[in-house]
Amino acid sequence: MPAELKTVGKAELRKDAWDKVTGRAAYVDDLPREGVLVGAVVRSPHHHARIVAIETAAARNVPGVVAVLTAADVPGSKTFGPLVQDQPALAFDVVRHMGEPVALVIAQSKEAARHGVAAVQVTYEPLPAVHDPVAALEPDAPRVHSGGNLLTRYEISEGDVATGLAAADVVIEATFTVPRISPAYMEPESSMARWNDDGTLTVWVSSQKPFEDRHAIAGVLGLPEDAVQVCSAVIGGAFGGKEDSGLPVLAALGAWATRGTVRLINNRHESFLAHPKRHPARLHYTLGATREGELIALKAVVHLDTGAYASYGPAVGGLLTEMLAGAYRIPHVQVETNVVYTHSPFSGAMRGFGSPQAHFAIESMMDMLAHELSLDPLELRRKNALRPGDRLLTRVTLDRTAESLPLILDHLAAARARLAQKPPAPGRVAGVGIALGMQSMGLGYRVPDDSTNRLALAPDGSVLLYIGSPDLGQGLATAAEQIAAEALGLPYDAVRTVDVDTSVSPNGGVTCASRMTYLIGNSVMLAAQGLIAALLDYAARTLNVPRDALRYEAGAVITAAGERVALGEFASRAADEGVPLVAEATFSFPYPEETTPKHLPIGMPHVMLVFGGQAVRVEVDPELGTVTVTDVVAVHDVGQVVNRAGVEGQIEGAVAMGIGYALYESMRLKADGQWVDSFTEYLLPTAEDMPQIESVILEIPEASGPYGVKGVGEMGLVPTAPAIANAVFQATGVRAQAIPIAPEVIARPLGG
Amino acid sequence: MQEFDFYAANTLDELLRLLAQSGGRVIAGGTDVLVQAQRGVFPASVLVDASRVRELRFIGQDGETIRIGALTTYADILASPLLRETAPALVMAAATVGAPQTRARGTLGGNIANASPAGDTLPPLLTLDATVRLVKRGGERVLPLAEVLCGPRQTCLEPGEIIHSVAFRRPSQPTGAAFLKLGNRQGMAIAVVNVAVSLPLDDDGRIAGARVALGAVAPTPVRSPRAEAVLYGQSLNDDVLERAAQAVLYDIAPITDVRGSADYRRKAAVRLTARALRLAAQQIREGAQA
Amino acid sequence: MKPITVTLTVNGQTRTITTLPNKTLLYALREDLGLTGVKDACGGEGECGACTVILDGEAVNACLVLIGQADGRSVETIEGLAQDGELHPLQCAFVETGAVQCGFCTPGAILAAKALLDRDPSPTDDAIREALSGNLCRCTGYSKMIAAVRRAAEEMSHAR
Ligand SMILES: Cc1cc2nc3c(=O)[nH]c(=O)nc-3n(C[C@@H](O)[C@@H](O)[C@H](O)COP(=O)(O)OP(=O)(O)OC[C@H]3O[C@@H](n4cnc5c(N)ncnc54)[C@H](O)[C@@H]3O)c2cc1C
Ligand code: FES
Ligand code: FES
Repeated sequence: MPAELKTVGKAELRKDAWDKVTGRAAYVDDLPREGVLVGAVVRSPHHHARIVAIETAAARNVPGVVAVLTAADVPGSKTFGPLVQDQPALAFDVVRHMGEPVALVIAQSKEAARHGVAAVQVTYEPLPAVHDPVAALEPDAPRVHSGGNLLTRYEISEGDVATGLAAADVVIEATFTVPRISPAYMEPESSMARWNDDGTLTVWVSSQKPFEDRHAIAGVLGLPEDAVQVCSAVIGGAFGGKEDSGLPVLAALGAWATRGTVRLINNRHESFLAHPKRHPARLHYTLGATREGELIALKAVVHLDTGAYASYGPAVGGLLTEMLAGAYRIPHVQVETNVVYTHSPFSGAMRGFGSPQAHFAIESMMDMLAHELSLDPLELRRKNALRPGDRLLTRVTLDRTAESLPLILDHLAAARARLAQKPPAPGRVAGVGIALGMQSMGLGYRVPDDSTNRLALAPDGSVLLYIGSPDLGQGLATAAEQIAAEALGLPYDAVRTVDVDTSVSPNGGVTCASRMTYLIGNSVMLAAQGLIAALLDYAARTLNVPRDALRYEAGAVITAAGERVALGEFASRAADEGVPLVAEATFSFPYPEETTPKHLPIGMPHVMLVFGGQAVRVEVDPELGTVTVTDVVAVHDVGQVVNRAGVEGQIEGAVAMGIGYALYESMRLKADGQWVDSFTEYLLPTAEDMPQIESVILEIPEASGPYGVKGVGEMGLVPTAPAIANAVFQATGVRAQAIPIAPEVIARPLGG
Repeated sequence: MQEFDFYAANTLDELLRLLAQSGGRVIAGGTDVLVQAQRGVFPASVLVDASRVRELRFIGQDGETIRIGALTTYADILASPLLRETAPALVMAAATVGAPQTRARGTLGGNIANASPAGDTLPPLLTLDATVRLVKRGGERVLPLAEVLCGPRQTCLEPGEIIHSVAFRRPSQPTGAAFLKLGNRQGMAIAVVNVAVSLPLDDDGRIAGARVALGAVAPTPVRSPRAEAVLYGQSLNDDVLERAAQAVLYDIAPITDVRGSADYRRKAAVRLTARALRLAAQQIREGAQA
Repeated sequence: MKPITVTLTVNGQTRTITTLPNKTLLYALREDLGLTGVKDACGGEGECGACTVILDGEAVNACLVLIGQADGRSVETIEGLAQDGELHPLQCAFVETGAVQCGFCTPGAILAAKALLDRDPSPTDDAIREALSGNLCRCTGYSKMIAAVRRAAEEMSHAR
């Protein structure tokens, strides 16, 4: 099949790149400033406190301040939230984390807004706070919410773990700690809202979910949803962190209250404190195997710190649970995953969605077991890797997709052999580590998981693609355009994407969960068939011939006589006549009735999986314990490449994120009680920290995917951190059970 | 951004006059001032811009003395053949400061006046026995660098007083010098520990007055008299260098912060010093061959 | 605060601004001159490089230059890079190698690279990494950015 493809798989250039290299691309903060009011947020300086009083009169009197709003001014629902409606638009009664919004100042200038914020006097009564998810479950722990600190607990058991562990020749046990991570997209959260004279609102967002933002805004303002229009500006990265309606809600509240236009931009500190983070977690694993290395039983207890509000915490906990055993066949599994409230900035969606945490544990355990049994870590993986027909702990039975695992292992073996040849720099020691990864696609069973997209023929014969889910920068629009062009037999340049606008775009759902190219691709292919049908109907009417005398081929209608009439001719004529040539289609993520297990909580299981693996070479300075990643070979099955530069870009960016996860990044609570909340202390990898990355891309087509496509957005991050930890072990014999790996854990003792 | 009035000076005289009249503080490259001012914590309500005072931006030699103007940027230091020859450790330090954007703006005078315990140019300047020339309206004084740095982010500068330049003597004997820095990542990193050493050899091939200075291990960058004493009069051998490195432990008092623990800093200080000394020794040997 | 009046050359044109003095070049360009290609990603800490512009030939962080300090100086921003409607080779190379994802870091990274190529027309990969080390990118992992700079350098050397 791939041989016939004309556009899919070709090196097409993304169309938005031209605006981005010239500075023309308009992110929310770049939209016109004329007459736009400035919003600024008064935030909690406490981790946990009772709000005794909020005094706003002085702030209102600051010249240039137009309004000062508190929870009392919220006309509709005081709270919002995607899964649990526990997140206040503005705090009332209590604040539950540092940086929580308490009041909103709207002013004519930034200066005035800043003075206004300084003039708002909030009296707090500080309360004890808890920041550790295990401590938070103690009976006498300070409570985050009145219902207790346990947000969700998943308990899943397959087989009989006690018997399995008893039968094992070796049992190893370890606790892993993974940090709180900021998505740290370069564009901090931003939103602008305008009150329109007809009593509606227009809101520009930098968001993964304009349609859900609309829902949240309408709820908080007590407006009907159709009174709220949400438009996507250019988005400066998202990675899951822009699945939060906090800022759009506040911008809209400001516009509603002032009957004006209000822009609200988080600065970097605010972005750290008041937007979703990757969940920090503690994972305790007990793994049993035979002497030959066959996995028998896995028992795991996980505590996820979801912070002060639920956000997507329950779903992250669910996916972590599903991914807990990684890409391995283990007959007896027992899992307990606790998603726990604490007084920390809230955690939520972030690229990988629980999978990176689980994989750090299981992939480290695999190497620890190999060491214990004196087996080759790669052969141990080969022995236990999932195969088609195997059953996961969710009772999902694997299909062909698992055929990729032996291939991935072959590539890793070759890469490892090659990388092991490279001698270390003087004074350094080198090691090569590997890890596998498994990631699901889609949102999970019984969660609405579909995407609607529309194709419309423009008068000039080009095709407009109305995608219903925003491109976050990853190149979603390019992939969708390539698929549309392929399906219509048109050149790539003939298809143009229209930015998401809830008043005209179809609802494509949240851009997340490695599902977009798959879902949008499928829906666009269906829409293309619809558009061809509409075109042929119209052509038959116009030419006055029977419909089945015509057929469509590569941008033209072919008559019975073999005559080609270009699409453009019908397009302009239809436009003149006011006949719309449009088709819309919805594709729902398939959860086949016969094969989808139904015993699990909502959102579980995920039935479609992708696999990958990485080999990483590190050099370690044994005296100082510093780790340098020199090479990464990333092997990923993507089903079918739509755009190679796009796929490689996803993998390279994800690997960088994985390196940050393993070595540098952690949003810690410092000794002075403040959070690490700036790029001065929260270190992202720079160009000088990045290794050579070689992407090995496998294409094992997914039968249900558009041209065979699977998801690639998240997977690249999953194996990186454990592969680094495994490489460090190979190099030094030191096993890092916590990330980011502290050089002091690795460094040789003085005099040693 | 916090609020302040702003004046720009074009000459040294004007700078001193504006400072005296306004009671303001200098802004040079702004790489510390503006970070602090945007966080609202810079202690001044008037800023006087020194960045265009040409008289303070120079690298020169008079007799055996090398002088560097306070307004000299890291980029200037990196581009100077004179400093590469006479102050290689300072050049190595300048190369590790921030990113190219920081090095284009940040100045030597600012690094001193900012008095960060981790300031990268400070240990090399300590190993050069650098003096600092301070001027204000109607007066000037010259102090050893160590006397200018009196605490974390504290200097002995008086109101209206500025750093004019630093000076040090061109090394007369064959000297090896090195600077090493440990950061938390490879690109753009503040020092967890930094070390500068200089090893001058006398005619008999013995170490004359060695200098070892470390940063981020005490309230200010410090010299290590014990390490220097171990080296004094010895010939260059690895055992001596290692003993000297171990001796720095007696002269440092590191703290634990987000960048590293006190224990780790102690370990790193010893290892970095040993390496810097070996690097310096190697330079001398190579210099002798050349 | 007393307002100040500043005259500077921006992309070859003389511009005069009257503003409060506690404004950085970054926000003067964005708000007073409408040149929004220069970005703020770290809140003025010099850590992200999204605000990189070329000031008198050197790449600097516009968030760490006070507008008063730019008086009389010459500034180049991403908007001024194309000459006579023709994109700079770096701009083309960033598009063609897939070095652009979300694009928020792109203008700053291109200008940092331009300052490098102006000084060193055929840089090594290490020199390119160093030149970009003050420009954080969360999307690309830098590989394609580095490749783009290499490619632009090659293009420019052929053109000479
Ligand atoms: C992203 C980034 C990375 C950095 N990395 C490093 C690093 O790796 N290593 C390192 O050492 N530093 C680092 N720094 C800080 C370094 O850039 C500064 O210390 C710089 O040298 C200060 O010089 P400046 O001209 O910018 O000073 P300014 O910010 O203008 O001034 C700093 C202080 O010095 C005073 N001052 C300046 N000049 C004089 C003078 N002539 N006389 C009296 N007082 C004066 C000012 O009043 C102010 O108190 C970094 C900064 C940033 C933003
Ligand atoms: S805004 Fe981040 S370096 Fe200037
Ligand atoms: S392309 Fe998104 S930050 Fe670089």
